[in-house]
Amino acid sequence: MDIQRIWILMGKEVRLGATNFMTIYVLVMPVIITLLVALVFGDLFAQTPRLGIYDAGGGERFTQKLLDHPSINTTLYSSDAALRNAVERGTEEAGMSLPAGFIEALESGTEEVNFTVYRWGEAGVRNLLLLESTLGRTLVEGGGEGFDQLPVSVVSNQIGNANTLTWSQRLLPLFLIMAIVLGGMWIPAASLIEEREKRTLVALTTTPTSLMDVYLSKTLMGLILSGIMAVIILLLNRAFAGELALLLLVIALGGLMSSVFGVILGSVSKDMDTFMGIVKAVGILLYAPGILKIFPQVPEWIGRIFPTYYLMNPLLEVSQNGAGFAEILLDVAVLAVIIAALLVILSSVIGRQQQQLAMES
Amino acid sequence: MLSVENLSYTYPGGTEAVRGIDFTIEKGEIFGFLGPSGAGKSTTQKVLIRLLRGFQGHVTVLGKPLNEWDDSYYEQVGVAFELPNHYQKLTATENLALFRSLYSGETHDPANLLEMVGLEEDADTRLSQFSKGMQMRLNFVRALLHKPDLLFLDEPTTGLDPVNGQKIKEIIRAQREAGRTIFLTAHDMTVADQICDRVAFIIDGKITLIDSPRNLRLQHGERRVKVEFHRDGLSSPAQQAEFPLDGLGDNSEFLEVLRNNPIETIHTQEATLEDIFIETTGRTLT
Repeated sequence: MDIQRIWILMGKEVRLGATNFMTIYVLVMPVIITLLVALVFGDLFAQTPRLGIYDAGGGERFTQKLLDHPSINTTLYSSDAALRNAVERGTEEAGMSLPAGFIEALESGTEEVNFTVYRWGEAGVRNLLLLESTLGRTLVEGGGEGFDQLPVSVVSNQIGNANTLTWSQRLLPLFLIMAIVLGGMWIPAASLIEEREKRTLVALTTTPTSLMDVYLSKTLMGLILSGIMAVIILLLNRAFAGELALLLLVIALGGLMSSVFGVILGSVSKDMDTFMGIVKAVGILLYAPGILKIFPQVPEWIGRIFPTYYLMNPLLEVSQNGAGFAEILLDVAVLAVIIAALLVILSSVIGRQQQQLAMES
Repeated sequence: MLSVENLSYTYPGGTEAVRGIDFTIEKGEIFGFLGPSGAGKSTTQKVLIRLLRGFQGHVTVLGKPLNEWDDSYYEQVGVAFELPNHYQKLTATENLALFRSLYSGETHDPANLLEMVGLEEDADTRLSQFSKGMQMRLNFVRALLHKPDLLFLDEPTTGLDPVNGQKIKEIIRAQREAGRTIFLTAHDMTVADQICDRVAFIIDGKITLIDSPRNLRLQHGERRVKVEFHRDGLSSPAQQAEFPLDGLGDNSEFLEVLRNNPIETIHTQEATLEDIFIETTGRTLT
């Protein structure tokens, strides 16, 4: 193994990969889909919390404060039913239905004030917190009292399943798998097949470069690309959180699994058509854990059947639930076992590749 | 420089491609390995360039058994394959620069090598725009990049026009003059005849004959001279006559033909390498 030659070969991979349409497509596609989903389902360019208000009468001074508020988008509705409908559709993240005489009752401070709040089940926590604090402040100002003496009783009606995830959250596991598996697998496999088809691999191995150096350069390239892709997807989904070292460890292991798998596929595929056929056939199995996550009602154990679950789940646990090493230890251990098995297969494949190269040259 | 004793190679499927061949190549020699397709010459070359492992016999290259060499072998050995194998998206200079960076010893400047084979004006052209001949020339000079002691050239003039073919042959001769040893596989006997110091004929995995082209021509040719002439002036049809080379100056019949008739052609009848190959193996080179 020669580090300098591996570095040179990686530079060549970057140079050639940058001009390869399929490589660019594979790397850019998960990012584009993520951005599209964020755009379509409202997470992108719609960061301002949305509040709908129905005022049964006399609450203008209160609602005006909210309409003038620079940090929330407030819309007035003509009926409670229209407000409820808007929240149900997700047009508004929260709706406030004010009874007649609301502001007078609030200002008098002598009687209990009841009003209803509708909350969209898919609304993000961040926006709900912003809305709640804004409403609280406005109510306090209106009542002229401190927080501990708030003369308000709120009846909150949850609309939709409380556990409902946003589409971005549901699709994040799939995007992560796409980014890590495609980024890690595609580059080594496609590059290896092309090198064999164009016979440049045999040209390289008749220099002081060993076949191991070539394989290592491709594996590292896949590992780095999948890591970059995973970080981009997590950042785009505002999920690059949790313990950084753990997150990077899981990304690295997932990338290693994908790139080693890619190198194996690149070695055993006769040509690009065969590789594409294999990808089409096994692709669904690779993405299955991500697809299953779109449907929260599907039992978790089904995902565990698929190897990519063990890179997806710890990533989600660390980034979304703040899990520590102990919580993800089992998944990481399974991931390590899968990688070890793939490395054993790879060493056998490299041994056979030398003979195959001689036959093909 | 290179010694092969009782070399055999059997492919995993059971095909015995090389069957106990022996030869040696001296330093500064151009050794031609000639034979038809499937004769075993490519397999022999693949063993010698360490692509095929698991051979039987004893091979010593550059003073060391072949199976004791590691990848540093290629610091001293240059290989040019029969078919071009370059990175098509890179330019000629980028291809050579990439391969140059993989060697640790002294190397040629790619610009000089490109100039050597007339590719200097295409140095910054992507290989995908090169003709096969241009790619072959680049293939050839890539093997020279690291100034190797031993060169393995597989059909180096295939696909080249006569002018470039001649240029490559001159460079091969110049490499020999610089002290390099060249192992050349070919099925084109003319090229071998022109540049090889010795040739080996291989057929069905066995070497049938090894000698210099000149010795082979002399041993297998007829010591006769063939004359084509017009007996009654240029308008008459050409006639042929053959005379023994020995005592030719005293052969009155030959002298009479020369003196009294317009001569069209006159040739000694030494055999070509192809004739000798057919004669000794009973096979053609196709």
